[in-house]
Amino acid sequence: MAQSNETRSIQEPDQDSLSIPDGALQPGQILQNRYRILGVLGVGGMGAVYQARDMHFEDVPRLCAVKEMINLAQDHQLREQTFRNFRREASLLATLSHPAIPQIFDFFSFGDRAYLVMEHIQGKDLEAILNGSSQFLPIDQIIQWGIEICDVLSYLHNHRPEPIVFRDMKPSNVMIDHHRRVRLIDFGIAKTFQMGQPGTMIGTEGYSPPEQYKGEASPAADIYALGATLHHMLTRRDPRLEPPFSFDQKPIQAYNPAVPDDLAAVIMRSLAYNPADRYATADAMKQSLEALINGGNAITPQGNFTQTPDAPQADQPAAPEMKTALEERHAAPAVQHTPGRASQAKPAGMSNVLPIWTFKVEDAVRSRPLVHNDVVYVGSYDNNLWALEAKTGQLLWKYPTEAGIGSSPAYSGSTIFVGSSDRRLYAIEMRSGKLQWSYKTEGKIYSSPRTAAGMVFFGSDDGYLYALKPGASTGREVFKYPAMHPIRSTPVVDGERVFFGTDNGDFLCVDFSGDLGWRFQSRRRILSSPVIHDGIVYFGSDDWYLYALDIEMGMSVWRFRTRGEVISTPVIGDGRVFVGCADGSIYAVDLDNGRESWRYEVGEPVTSSPLFHRESVYIGAVDGALYCLHSKSGELLWRFQSSGPILSSPSIADDIVYIGSDDQHIYALPG
Amino acid sequence: MGFIRRLFKRDTASEAEKRVSTPAPKPIEPKTTAPLPPDEVDEQTPLQTRPLAPPKKFDSRRQQIKFASMSDIGQVRTNNQDACLAMMAKADMVGNPPPMGFFVVADGMGGHHDGELASTVTVQTLVQHIVQDVLLPQMEGFEPSADQKTIPEVLIEAMEAANQAVQAQVPNGGTTATCVVLRGDLAFIAHVGDSRAYLLNEGNLELVTRDHSLVRRLQELGQLTEAEAEVHPQRNVLYRAIGQGEALEVDTATRRLPPSSRLLICSDGLWGEIGDEAIMRIVRDTPDPHSTCERLIEAANLSGGHDNITAVLIQMPD
Repeated sequence: MAQSNETRSIQEPDQDSLSIPDGALQPGQILQNRYRILGVLGVGGMGAVYQARDMHFEDVPRLCAVKEMINLAQDHQLREQTFRNFRREASLLATLSHPAIPQIFDFFSFGDRAYLVMEHIQGKDLEAILNGSSQFLPIDQIIQWGIEICDVLSYLHNHRPEPIVFRDMKPSNVMIDHHRRVRLIDFGIAKTFQMGQPGTMIGTEGYSPPEQYKGEASPAADIYALGATLHHMLTRRDPRLEPPFSFDQKPIQAYNPAVPDDLAAVIMRSLAYNPADRYATADAMKQSLEALINGGNAITPQGNFTQTPDAPQADQPAAPEMKTALEERHAAPAVQHTPGRASQAKPAGMSNVLPIWTFKVEDAVRSRPLVHNDVVYVGSYDNNLWALEAKTGQLLWKYPTEAGIGSSPAYSGSTIFVGSSDRRLYAIEMRSGKLQWSYKTEGKIYSSPRTAAGMVFFGSDDGYLYALKPGASTGREVFKYPAMHPIRSTPVVDGERVFFGTDNGDFLCVDFSGDLGWRFQSRRRILSSPVIHDGIVYFGSDDWYLYALDIEMGMSVWRFRTRGEVISTPVIGDGRVFVGCADGSIYAVDLDNGRESWRYEVGEPVTSSPLFHRESVYIGAVDGALYCLHSKSGELLWRFQSSGPILSSPSIADDIVYIGSDDQHIYALPG
Repeated sequence: MGFIRRLFKRDTASEAEKRVSTPAPKPIEPKTTAPLPPDEVDEQTPLQTRPLAPPKKFDSRRQQIKFASMSDIGQVRTNNQDACLAMMAKADMVGNPPPMGFFVVADGMGGHHDGELASTVTVQTLVQHIVQDVLLPQMEGFEPSADQKTIPEVLIEAMEAANQAVQAQVPNGGTTATCVVLRGDLAFIAHVGDSRAYLLNEGNLELVTRDHSLVRRLQELGQLTEAEAEVHPQRNVLYRAIGQGEALEVDTATRRLPPSSRLLICSDGLWGEIGDEAIMRIVRDTPDPHSTCERLIEAANLSGGHDNITAVLIQMPD
C-alpha cells in the first residue's frame, strides 16, 4: 500500500519474510530521503527501534530515534483502519508537551510499515537499571522516580478533551536520561496494531490491573501499573513471573525489609484490586509520595507541570513517621520466601530455648548422634565414641580410638559401628562399650557406616567402598568396590544395591555382588550423603547442585542450583527435600518439580544436615545456632545458640533434639 | 460396568509372574528379633527414608506403552487452530535405553490463520529441541553426568525457543502448550496456558496441570466461584501463553506413571465441553487409546463442539 508520492530510498522489504531481523533496516539506509539509519537500538514485538541521523542538519549530528511498526493486517479494510489510528495517535502525541514525554518530530508510513521519528533519549530504562545491579536500589531514588511518573501521568490524565491513559506502565517503558530525569517511552502507539478477537487472550505483563481484561482502560489502570512497577523496583520481584494480582500475598517488606511502612502503604493502596479503592488521581498519589521525602515538604526538583488548577482533593494517608522496619530487624537474618508469607525473624544471637542437659567432651563434635534405646552414641574429634544416657546425659561409657571420629555411629543388633580417622572401623558392644572387633583399611574413615541386609557398608579415604558381614569377633569382607577416590559420604542401601558419592564427583550404584550398576558424574566432590525416596535418589555436590536421579539407571530427573557447595545431606518430608548450603541458605525444594518452595537465609554456611520431624526442620549452622523452621513455610519457630560452629547434624527421639557443636558440647533440647 | 472392570483387572497369578523383573527387596534382618518401637526415630532407617517397596514397574522388553492422538475442528469453528504430536521410540539394544516418548498439545489463538500458525510453529520448535537434546542422546547411550541437561531443563529451553519463534513469525498469534516427555515410566511435564494434562490411576482422575487463565486466578483469589467461572465471558482469557511476551514462566512437574494408568493431554475444547466426570468415565472404560480419543471427541461434539477438540492419550501397560 505505498503512498505514491513518497520517495522510497530503501529497499522494498521482502514481503514474504515476517521475521523481523531479516527485514530490518540496515545502517546506511535512508528513510524519507532524510533519516539515515545508524543502527538498531532495540527490537520489540512490533518492530525495531533505530538510531538515525536527521540529514536536514548537515553541520551537526542531530540524532533521533526512529520507531518502526509493522502492520501485519491482511485484510485491506483493517490495514486502512490501523493506519488511520496510527496517524491519529501520532498527531495527538505531537501536541503533548511535558519534560517526561519524548518529542515527536515526524511520522510517515508506506508498505506495511509505519515510522515514528522521536527525540533520541540516552539513558537506561528501569528494567536495565535493575538488571545492572544485584542489590536493592536506593529507596529514596525509587520514590523520586515515582513522583516524576505521577507528575506525567497526571498531565496525561488531565488532557482535554479526553484523558490519555498510558496503558503500558512498566519498568522497561520508563527511561532515566543522562540528566537523571524520568522519560516515558513506548507510548501505546503499538496498541493500535493489536487485534482483538473473541476467545483470544490478552497478554498481561503482570503490571496490568484486573479490569484491563474487560477492556476498561482508565486512569486508575495507570495508577495500578505504576504501583506494580514501584513494587518491582523495591522488591526486585518481577510480577510477570508470579500469578497475577497476587501483590497482597507478597508484602513488600518480606522481600526488602528496608522499605518503610508508609511507603509500603502507598504502594499497596495503588495496587488495590478494586479501582475505586486506589488513589483517585495520579496527583493524589504523587502528594502521598512527596510526603515521604523531606518529612512533608512537597518540593520536587523538576517543578510541577500539572496544568489543571483545581485538581480534586484526594485523601492522603496519615503523616508518616520515618521509623524503618530495618531498625526492628537490626542484625536479624533476612527471611526469604518464594510464594510465601512474611515472617519475622527473631533477633540474632539469642536463644529462645534452654537445654535439658549438656555434656562436655574434649574436642569438637562434628557427627550426628545416634539415639537408640534411650542411649545417645556420638563420636568426637577427641578420638572417643561416647555413650550417654539419653534423658539425663549421664556418662555410660566411652571407647577411645586412636584418632578423631568424624563419622556418625550406626548399629545393628547390639553392636555399634563407627569409623575413625585412625583408618579402622570399630564394632563395639552396645551396653558395655567393649570392643568386639575392628577392621583396618588403608585410609582414614570419615564416611559413616550404614547397616542393611545384615551387612555394614562404609567408605574410606583409601578409595574403597566396603561391605562387611559382622560376626561376634570379626567382620568378614563380603566385597570391596574400588571407587578410586576417597569416599566420605555415607552410603545408602535400597533393594540389593548400595549408593554413594566420592571425592571426585562420581555418584555410584554398586550391587551386593560388588559389581557396578551405574555411575553418574557430577562436576565436583560429593560429601553429602544420598537419600532415597520413591525410586529417586537425592544428593548434593560441591558443584552447587542438588541432584535427583532415578535409581534404576542413574538418569537425572531434575537438578536444583544453589549458590554454593551442597555438603549437607538432604532430608525428605512432606513432599519436599530440605538441604543446607554453603551459600548460607537452607532450601526447601518441591519433590515433583525440583523448584524452590522456600529458602531461609542464615547468612553463614550451612554444612550440616537437616532433620525433619513432624512439620519442623532442624538444622545447625556455622554461626553456632541450631534452627527450627516450619517445614511448609520456612518460618523460624525457634533457635538455639551454642558457642561454636555447628557442623554436625541433629537427631531426635521422644521429642528431644540432640546436637553436638564445635564448642565441645552435646546438647539435648526440647523439640 | 463391573464386567468391564473385571476384564481389565488382570491381577491373576499367571499375570503376576509375567510382570516386574526386579526382585522384591530382601527384608532387613537385624540380629535381634524385637521389632523397633514405631515412634522411635531409628538412625538406620530414619522416618523419611524408610525403604519403600520399589515402585511396580513394567517390563519394557515384554510390554508396550500404547498411545494415540486425535484432533477435530468441532462444530462451530471454521478452522482448526489446535496442533498436536505424539511419538514413541522403543529400542532393544546394548545399553538398554528405556522407551522414550514425546507428546504435545498446542491450542492456538489469533485472527485468521495466526492461531494455527502459532500452534504449529510451537509444536515444530518443541519437537526439534526434544529430539535433539533428549531422544537422540538417550538412544545413542551415554554415561549420565552433570554435563547433560536434565529433561526439565531441556523442556524449559524448548518452550522459551517456541516463545521466541512465535513472537518472530506470528506476532499477533499465541498458543497454549502442554507437553510430556516420557522416559520409561517417568513423565516430565511442561506447561503454559489452559490446555490440560490429566492422570487417571486406579479410578482417580488427577488434574496435573494448573490453568493459566484469568478465571482460574480469580477463583484462587476467591473472587469467583467455580460456577461463575464456567460461564464467565472472559473464561478464555489467559495470563500466560506462548508468543505473548519475553518473560515466559513454564510450569514443570514429574510424575511416575503406575502400571495401567493413563495420561491424557487435551485442549479446552475437550475439558471445557464435557467436564471431568465424563472424561474420567470414557478414559477409564475404553480399552485402547485410539478408541478413547475417538469417544472423547465424539462426546465433545455431541455436547456442542464449540471449539477445536484435541486429545492425546498415553496408556501404561499393566
